[in-house]
Amino acid sequence: MRVLVVEDEIRLAENVARSLRESAGYAVDVAADGQEGLFLAESNAYDVMLLDLMLPKLDGMALLARIRQSGQHTPVLVLTARDDKESVIALLNAGADDYLTKPFDLGELLARTKALIRRGKGQPSPVVTIGDLELNTVNRTVQRGGRAITLTAMEYRVLEYLVHRPRAVVSKTELLEHLYDYNWEKFSNVIEVYISGLRRKLNEGSSRQLIRTLRGQGYMLQD
Amino acid sequence: MRRDSIQRRLIASVLLSQAILTAGLMVIGVVVTYWRLLSTLDVSMQAHATSVAVLVRYTEDASGHVYFDNSLLPESIDPNHPDQFMVWADRTGYLTRSEDWPEGLQFEPGPSQHWNFTWAGVPYHAVRMNHVPILDREEGKAFQPQTLTIVYASPTVRIQQQVKAALASIVLASLLLLGATTWLASWRIRRGLLPLQILARQASLVSTQSWKLQPPREAEDIEELRPLTESMTQMLARLEYSFKQQREFVGNAAHELKTPVAVLKSTLQSLSQRPRSSEEYLAGVQASLQDLDRLEQLLQRMLRLARAEQWAQNAQGRQLDVIDLNSTCEEAVERIRSLAQSRSTSIHLATDGRVPILADPEDLQLVWTNLLENAVRYSPEGSSVEVAVARSGDKARISFQDHGAGISPSDLPRIFDRFYRGDPSRTRATGGFGLGLAIVKALVEAYGGTIAAESAPGKGTRMTVELPVSQP
Repeated sequence: MRVLVVEDEIRLAENVARSLRESAGYAVDVAADGQEGLFLAESNAYDVMLLDLMLPKLDGMALLARIRQSGQHTPVLVLTARDDKESVIALLNAGADDYLTKPFDLGELLARTKALIRRGKGQPSPVVTIGDLELNTVNRTVQRGGRAITLTAMEYRVLEYLVHRPRAVVSKTELLEHLYDYNWEKFSNVIEVYISGLRRKLNEGSSRQLIRTLRGQGYMLQD
Repeated sequence: MRRDSIQRRLIASVLLSQAILTAGLMVIGVVVTYWRLLSTLDVSMQAHATSVAVLVRYTEDASGHVYFDNSLLPESIDPNHPDQFMVWADRTGYLTRSEDWPEGLQFEPGPSQHWNFTWAGVPYHAVRMNHVPILDREEGKAFQPQTLTIVYASPTVRIQQQVKAALASIVLASLLLLGATTWLASWRIRRGLLPLQILARQASLVSTQSWKLQPPREAEDIEELRPLTESMTQMLARLEYSFKQQREFVGNAAHELKTPVAVLKSTLQSLSQRPRSSEEYLAGVQASLQDLDRLEQLLQRMLRLARAEQWAQNAQGRQLDVIDLNSTCEEAVERIRSLAQSRSTSIHLATDGRVPILADPEDLQLVWTNLLENAVRYSPEGSSVEVAVARSGDKARISFQDHGAGISPSDLPRIFDRFYRGDPSRTRATGGFGLGLAIVKALVEAYGGTIAAESAPGKGTRMTVELPVSQP
């Protein structure tokens, strides 16, 4: 999953980004002003956006209005210092999905971010099951047929993304887009490495292949 | 506490004036009635006295003596209270008096007059008539005719009763009318004061949510209430403005305080999310300390602003000395010198003689350092900032000219607003909170001065402060 954090208070943005990376294993991009945020939001596919309202150059509400006008469905969590009714109503009506008032708890921020990603993917339960595969997005654990499977961080991220797009063809480009942040060099062959590692671990003691390869198109998770 | 009431006061005034009117009418009524009755009585008494005079006859001889024929005495005016009379003839002398003359009562002949007296508890009105001719005059008698002096007294018991009866009916009628008019007046007054109550009810609907006072038509139509409704409307507008400003300030202050707290909290939380290396902990602690510093500075600034604004409201309460404006400017330039040097900006101070000002030097230095710091910070490296102090009449004008990027016309009207930052990223990077100019403005205004900003984008900004010079 890939998250965009738009926050001009650099230290706060860094802390949020670090927490999202460490505790949820998300790829995080940080924008320090509204224009940069808009540029990133328009040029990349994010699974959720964390947006501050008081931003230099382009303020949060305007940014929100712009991305909603362009038809983006990315869930938006607004980080605001204002908790008065009027501003909450205004931000929700501008297209925000949720809000958190500063100062917030990083644990709550993580939980809300995860919830927004789930809802954005049409997957309300934090424990996703596909056939006999069970993925717990809260503890970040994976089981197949009751057997716990230990995955590397990157393998988990690939599987988490696929689990949220079940029975859909997911291209390598899409995977790269959602698993790496802006600063990474993107090589499509690393995806193949993770997929083969995943297949090996998931298929231990099971004959049925969960991840199908569609040549030239991508991968599909099926039960 | 004694509660007063306009309604009660008005009713009392109406009542009082009516009471005075009634009392006056009563007195006039009684006097007029008494006077009329008495004059009627006078006429009757004169008629009766004449009837008495008719009874005086000359004797048959030619002596010219007279006698009184009391066989035909006239009836008393008041049948219940007999009249009294006494008759003298000018030559014969005392002639007669009424039959039931009270024992001890004595009249003397004298000039004609009317008078009142009381005898044995009975009030009398008396008239004395001189030169009453004797009507019994026989032709051919050769003697000098006599004239009579008659005192005729009639009891005024009936008149007094009539006056009392008249008084009683006047009092009764007055009391009835007084009651009726009091009721009418209080009803009218209550109705007349109704717009006040409606206005009060409308005013009670005013709250911090709805500042609009809708003066009722009834109140607007009343001349006396118009100044009240007008001043209420104006007062509410002022209150609403300052309330909104205050709320905006609290909102902004909360926002400004919450952000550093959020940073601090997130730093500490992310540090505690998992075990960290000692370097990471140290970096986190240092970052937190920096954030705390910023928070502290922000709090100090906010307190400074609050204090300056409070002073502006009661500037008279402070004991101030006359100081030299130039020395405060020189001090401020010294304070900013190192910042200016680090940016290779030069500061030129031009002064023009001693300018006495009634102020706290610390306040003025704060104003100048804030303005100078802004000027230096927004100047390109290697440029200069000019400070000029000039005196014109009873005003001192201090201007700060920089050659920086200037302020955009859209930002210019708002730069003195609290927490306003033209470009947050730039000022935040330089540690600003958007309070500096608000503090400057509050302090300048606390000393009865003004501050204005002119800016040409790309050419620079000039801040001009005008302060009243202390008159010796």
